[in-house]
Amino acid sequence: MREATAAKLAQLPPDEQRLLRPLVHTTSRFYITAGLLGAVVLWGLFAYSLQYRFGLGRTGLNRPEYWGIYIIDFVFFIGISHAGTLISAILRVSKAEWRRAITRSAEFITVLVLGFGAINPIVDLGRPDRLLNVVFHAHLRSPLLWDVLSISVYLTASTIYLYIPMIPDLAIIRDSGIKAPWLYRFLAAGYRDTPEQRARLERIIGVLAIAVIPVAVSVHTIIGWIFAMTLRPMWHSTIFGPYFVMGAIYSGIAAILIAMVILRRAYNLGNYFKPVHFDYMGRLLLLFSLLWFYFTFAEYLTAFYGKEPAEMRTFWAKIAGPFAVPFWTMVACCFFIPLSLMARRSMRTPKGTLIAGIAVVIGMWLERFIIVVPTSVNPRWEMESLGHYHYFPSWVELSILAGTFAGFVLLYMVATKFFPIVSIWEIKEGREVSVKEVAERVGGYLPALAPEHAEQRG
Amino acid sequence: MTRWGMVIDLDRCTGCGACEVACKSENNVATVTPDQADMGRAFSWMRVMTQVTGDFPNTTMRFMPRPCMHCDNPPCVQVCPVSATYINPEGIVGQIYPRCIGCRYCANACPYTVKYFNWLVPQWPASERAHLNPDVSVRPKGVIEKCTFCHHRLQKAREQARIENRELRESEYQPACAEVCPTEAIVFGDLENPRHRVQQLKSDPRAMRVMENLGTEPKVYYLVPRA
Amino acid sequence: MTQNRRQFLLAAGATAMAASACQLKDYQWSSPQEQELGWAPGIEERKHSVCLVCPGRCGIQGRTVDGNLVAIIGNALHPMSQGGLCPRGVGGVQALYHPQRISAPVLRVGARGAGQWRAISAQDALAMLVDRLQGLRKAKRPERLAVVAGYCAGTMNDLWRQFLTAYGSPNYVSDAYPDGLDTVMELMHGIPRHPGYDLDNARLVVSFGAPLFEAWWSPVQAYVAFGRAPADATARHRFVQIDTRFSRTAARAQEWVGVAPGTHGVLALGLAYILVKEQTYNAAFVARHVTGFEDWTDRSGKPHDGYRSLVLRNFRTEEVSALTGVPVERIVALARAFAAEPGAVAVCGTDVLHGEDGLLSGLAVHSLNILMGNIARPGGVLFGDDAPVAPLPKTPLDGAAQAGQRHRPLAASSAPFGVGDPARQFATAAVEGTASPVEALLLYYSNPLASAQNPDEWLRALERIPFIASFSPFLDETARYADLVIPDVMPYERWQDAPTPPSYPYPVWGVVQPLVKAPAKTMPTGEVVLSLARSLGGSVAKSLPFDDIPTLLKARARGLFTTRRGMTLGDEFERTHYRQMEERGWWLPEETDFEAFWKDLVDRGGWTDLLFEGTDPARLARTASGRIELMPDALLRALKDEGKGREPYAALRAGGVSQSPSTHDYPLRLIPYRASTLASGSLGLEAWLAEQPSLTIDVHWIPWVEVNPATASQLGLDDGTMVRVVSPRGRYQARLRHFPGTAPGQVNAPYGLKHPDGSLANPYRLLDGTTDPLTGLAVWHSTFVRLEPV
Ligand SMILES: Nc1nc2c(c(=O)[nH]1)N[C@H]1C(S)=C(S)[C@@H](COP(=O)(O)OP(=O)(O)OC[C@H]3O[C@@H](n4cnc5c(=O)[nH]c(N)nc54)[C@H](O)[C@@H]3O)O[C@H]1N2
Ligand SMILES: Nc1nc2c(c(=O)[nH]1)N[C@H]1C(S)=C(S)[C@@H](COP(=O)(O)OP(=O)(O)OC[C@H]3O[C@@H](n4cnc5c(=O)[nH]c(N)nc54)[C@H](O)[C@@H]3O)O[C@H]1N2
Ligand code: SF4
Ligand code: SF4
Ligand code: SF4
Ligand code: SF4
Ligand code: SF4
Ligand SMILES: [Mo]
Repeated sequence: MREATAAKLAQLPPDEQRLLRPLVHTTSRFYITAGLLGAVVLWGLFAYSLQYRFGLGRTGLNRPEYWGIYIIDFVFFIGISHAGTLISAILRVSKAEWRRAITRSAEFITVLVLGFGAINPIVDLGRPDRLLNVVFHAHLRSPLLWDVLSISVYLTASTIYLYIPMIPDLAIIRDSGIKAPWLYRFLAAGYRDTPEQRARLERIIGVLAIAVIPVAVSVHTIIGWIFAMTLRPMWHSTIFGPYFVMGAIYSGIAAILIAMVILRRAYNLGNYFKPVHFDYMGRLLLLFSLLWFYFTFAEYLTAFYGKEPAEMRTFWAKIAGPFAVPFWTMVACCFFIPLSLMARRSMRTPKGTLIAGIAVVIGMWLERFIIVVPTSVNPRWEMESLGHYHYFPSWVELSILAGTFAGFVLLYMVATKFFPIVSIWEIKEGREVSVKEVAERVGGYLPALAPEHAEQRG
Repeated sequence: MTRWGMVIDLDRCTGCGACEVACKSENNVATVTPDQADMGRAFSWMRVMTQVTGDFPNTTMRFMPRPCMHCDNPPCVQVCPVSATYINPEGIVGQIYPRCIGCRYCANACPYTVKYFNWLVPQWPASERAHLNPDVSVRPKGVIEKCTFCHHRLQKAREQARIENRELRESEYQPACAEVCPTEAIVFGDLENPRHRVQQLKSDPRAMRVMENLGTEPKVYYLVPRA
Repeated sequence: MTQNRRQFLLAAGATAMAASACQLKDYQWSSPQEQELGWAPGIEERKHSVCLVCPGRCGIQGRTVDGNLVAIIGNALHPMSQGGLCPRGVGGVQALYHPQRISAPVLRVGARGAGQWRAISAQDALAMLVDRLQGLRKAKRPERLAVVAGYCAGTMNDLWRQFLTAYGSPNYVSDAYPDGLDTVMELMHGIPRHPGYDLDNARLVVSFGAPLFEAWWSPVQAYVAFGRAPADATARHRFVQIDTRFSRTAARAQEWVGVAPGTHGVLALGLAYILVKEQTYNAAFVARHVTGFEDWTDRSGKPHDGYRSLVLRNFRTEEVSALTGVPVERIVALARAFAAEPGAVAVCGTDVLHGEDGLLSGLAVHSLNILMGNIARPGGVLFGDDAPVAPLPKTPLDGAAQAGQRHRPLAASSAPFGVGDPARQFATAAVEGTASPVEALLLYYSNPLASAQNPDEWLRALERIPFIASFSPFLDETARYADLVIPDVMPYERWQDAPTPPSYPYPVWGVVQPLVKAPAKTMPTGEVVLSLARSLGGSVAKSLPFDDIPTLLKARARGLFTTRRGMTLGDEFERTHYRQMEERGWWLPEETDFEAFWKDLVDRGGWTDLLFEGTDPARLARTASGRIELMPDALLRALKDEGKGREPYAALRAGGVSQSPSTHDYPLRLIPYRASTLASGSLGLEAWLAEQPSLTIDVHWIPWVEVNPATASQLGLDDGTMVRVVSPRGRYQARLRHFPGTAPGQVNAPYGLKHPDGSLANPYRLLDGTTDPLTGLAVWHSTFVRLEPV
């Protein structure tokens, strides 16, 4: 970086210095990684161009396996997206002070991954060119349409929810003048951190935090409903709404953990992402692994107990049939591994949570797979299922899968080059105000001391 | 009120498959290459499904010709985001090819798995273009298709009847599969019209519908075979 | 059509690449077809004709738009098919427009079979043919012209025969699907024709191996009889299928009796045993019309066992049960049912005759009908007549012709009865001697290299024959080996007649008329023969004095116009009306002048006569004795000459079923059968059919064989694996499918299928060559094979 900028940076207070450094200083490792990811993205685009040109025939899809990788990814990504907005909102609302360091990175995940979630169903369309028919010929009884609505609302909401709390930091950057002044002048939207501006900001954030929660919940509920509204065995289930929301948050937490560990290493943010964060997040993960088990168990037991033939065909296909391997891998990844790790404090470290997080992310992808595919290949009509149906994703599908993952990581990396990935002002605020505030709040919880003692002190 | 429907007598059906081929011929249903067919991408709006039970020499087999059930309460129509599949006032469930976005939600929603998707551009050898039926548009790639009860035949017959201003006769609107069936196992007509055979047949003691319990109200009835 | 998938795809590709703009079109998401066709409403036309895809000869109606055949629909006026069709018939549309069809005569340029051709005009092609034949005739070797024809019942058959007779060659080899059943009838009834079965009125149909719902003479006849029976349960037909294979017929019949291969005759006599034992057979009928039932002594005073004693002695139920594998109680039940029903008929499958004791088995099966007197009465066996069309003119033969006729035909059966397998004999004879006995070979509807049982012999024969011409509209295996191919026009483009097969008891003379225009450069083979005759002059020209085929057909139709019976095809009402009138001895001409009659004939699609006089004794027997013979002299003599001491009927029990030569190398019995989607021996399937060639098995395009899951797992062969089917005689590849309806230790193999690349998958070539000594017919179920994964 040029001396000028270096000098400017040097003048800034320590928090700023550390947190803004990535914006102006980029390692060669970054470029290499970015280059590789970029290549994968291009490859994915090429694969899609073939599919666009020749049709979905280039996938491994067939009848009755109408939905595959793309829909799985769709559900998966949207799930991940519940990381930021929802979690940070909950933490904000519940005034969990330890949130301050992590909300920003989480919210970024949301906004970016949401985009990739949203394109998957479009990639899955036989006629992407007719996408706008969804507007022109909207048929409001279709869950797919509810989904289009809720996702777009969620995307806007969480973008705003990412932007607003970022304004003070943008202002800081603008004032520090270390990078593209015109850009930050524009983004900071004339914010001068006057007390009343700050007050208004906090109020807006407060409102948004509350507003965004139901939206987030609705999104994944509706995705669950897309399946549940059909009469397909092991899709047609009332549990799907909540089940999907829970799963979404679960995978979200895991995703944040992974991001935190990496950021911590990459921009050595060791004293922002502290052991306590990993400890708390680890606990959350633990909680959700139990929830996940509870929901899954409930879901399968109900199906099994009912013994409805159509349901049972799918059921056995998963438990002991052709899908047994992915199924039990899923159970291991979503339950046993995170449970066994996160139950132990000694494991709720960056390393431990990283492993657990990765396991959960894989497990949750498999869960989507296990929901979509076995039901598809086992039609309800027993005469149909005579045909030996199967599904192997084609290289095109896999390339597009790789492309979307790479694309997400790439964008996330780039984002860290333009925006402080830890909220500077909130940290500051934490330092200055909250410590006192918290002491008072905690004091407030406790019974007041008896007056005579007070006098004695005098 | 007209409600078009079909009654298939499984006691007569010999599983010859003429209905399948007649349907393909009438509706320009494309054939696919061997590898595509092996992938499970062959089209068959009408499919004679079979179910084999028991080992030699106690084997038995059921045949079941399966068009679209033209449900009165069609799950496929419910879920289509763009109303590209719809049910008309006479109960025929149709497709609007130029509107379909190819999401295949309807196909997943159909409990009878009667919907077929154009994974690729349907193609015919140059020489075979000649036999395409001009009454039925060929599908572009990327859209869903299925049995339409040969709806185009109704339109033609209606026009004719209107020209001669009289009402439509049962014999005038018969789908290709019913027309070709050598055993007359397929009977087609207006389920509400006492002058049409289906009207009585649908209340025959042998009559049943597939997965009635789903409440989809199929308009295709089956007469179960006598022992 | 020889379905070569690669070429098919090329064609498809070519279409797609049209103007190479296609890729672009893809981008614009337009289906190329839609734009090009532009769906303008066209001029629509409907004409009646007859389906020539298989011997069934169902009535069809062609729907054409702007001169294109867009659909084939049934002809409701046709008394046999009554508007119904089978999938092959509907698929005919794709045969007509098949990409492999050749639409101009081609002349071989490269080496034989090298597949290099030059398109030539029909005139040039004809000219070549003419001077070949002129040459032979001038050289006084007319007998060295041979014509090998496939199934072409009716005028085409007569035309060829007439032509060759007048030309002077005895070598007309016509494969009229000889199956030995006519021999059975000749022996027992003195009536040398296939029996007709009155399925429509039969109450109980017991089919011995005849695939009524698949590849029978007329599947649609069976469909109509089975399906259009009155709705109420009591009046319903019962179909009982006796078969080694769980065929679709077996699946659909109300009852399937699985029997051990080759024991159909034994089972038949097992039933006879019970009829005789329980005295439930039609004693009155037997007494009045049948000989050979009781024991008798011949002139030399030598006593002979009659049918009764032979059956009672040799076919006790337990023993029959043991031989056939059918439980005793089922045999008894079936026999009693057969006796109880007034309208019960035993249908003898072609393949019964294609067994080791084929002829004797055939007699055994048919004897059931005789025992119950189900001959010439409703619901039984009816010997109908052919439609009374005018015969071709008899003309005096010139010297050359007479000389030629004195030579004995190359295809001659050494067996005492029937004609055997002419195509096979012909090849065998053609390879004998130093010089080829054949100098010019014409192939009509025939593809021996693919279909004959002795393809290698055929190949050697062809190598020796200096001139080979095929009339096939497709470059089938044999055509590819010819010097000249003058493609016939397709059945939907030509005039022909189409008599229903004898399995249908009433005469129907169907008229095949062009539904669409033929490609400019092609020429109907019928017209080729006529113009050949004209150019050859002499007695040949005199014998065929017709300008064209329509004139010829018209000339023959005069016969119908003048018989004063029957009717042009009509609907249900007209049919009953006419029959009832005829029953009362009335007959009213529908048309007074011939032209109007002809027009009516063509418009309605043919002529029929639905009155059958059961009272006429000639319909029971035309033997010397005037009685039906259970112990035909000719047969007894033949068996005597054979010197194996075989007795009729009894021999079936002794001569069991062949066993595997080496159970180690060839553990599995091969059961060939004709897939119901198969249009013809060596034609590949149309795309519509090839995509789903079997309902009972889930396969696409690829030929398959069926094996019982248990057997397969013993062999360690998974469902869907590609296997090589190997017999001592040959091998081919197919996809193995598990099918629980297949008897353990058996391989059910559909014939006539081809791989997408055009290679044959033909179990027919694996047959071990065993024949029935009495008829010389190939045995279809005595071959053993092994399966090797590839
Ligand atoms: N679809 C169709 N039909 C046709 C034709 C065609 O090309 N296509 N061609 C016509 C021609 S050329 C002919 S010759 C006929 C031939 O037609 P058929 O000979 O009547 O029929 P296939 O299926 O060839 O005969 C084999 C049948 O015999 C049964 N079978 C198996 N094992 C045994 C056994 O050990 N004993 C007995 N008795 N039967 C057994 C099999 O199950 C099978 O059904 O078909 C005619 N009909
Ligand atoms: N693979 C196989 N071999 C068989 C049989 C089988 O089913 N499959 N069946 C056996 C039996 S029972 C028989 S009878 C024989 C039959 O054997 P063939 O008499 O040789 O009959 P196909 O094999 O059907 O061949 C008929 C040929 O006629 C040609 N053709 C088709 N349409 C027309 C037309 O309109 N005009 C003219 N001129 N030619 C046309 C086609 O190219 C076809 O190859 O085959 C025997 N061998
Ligand atoms: S055409 Fe008729 S008999 Fe043949 S399969 Fe279809 S319904 Fe059954
Ligand atoms: S059968 Fe399936 S496609 Fe047909 S109407 Fe019912 S749901 Fe829709
Ligand atoms: S595939 Fe087409 S018809 Fe089916 S739901 Fe989607 S848009 Fe509607
Ligand atoms: S009704 Fe028409 S479209 Fe439907 S299966 Fe029959 S032929 Fe095909
Ligand atoms: S049975 Fe034979 S003649 Fe009749 S339609 Fe089928 S192929 Fe044509
Ligand atoms: Mo034959």
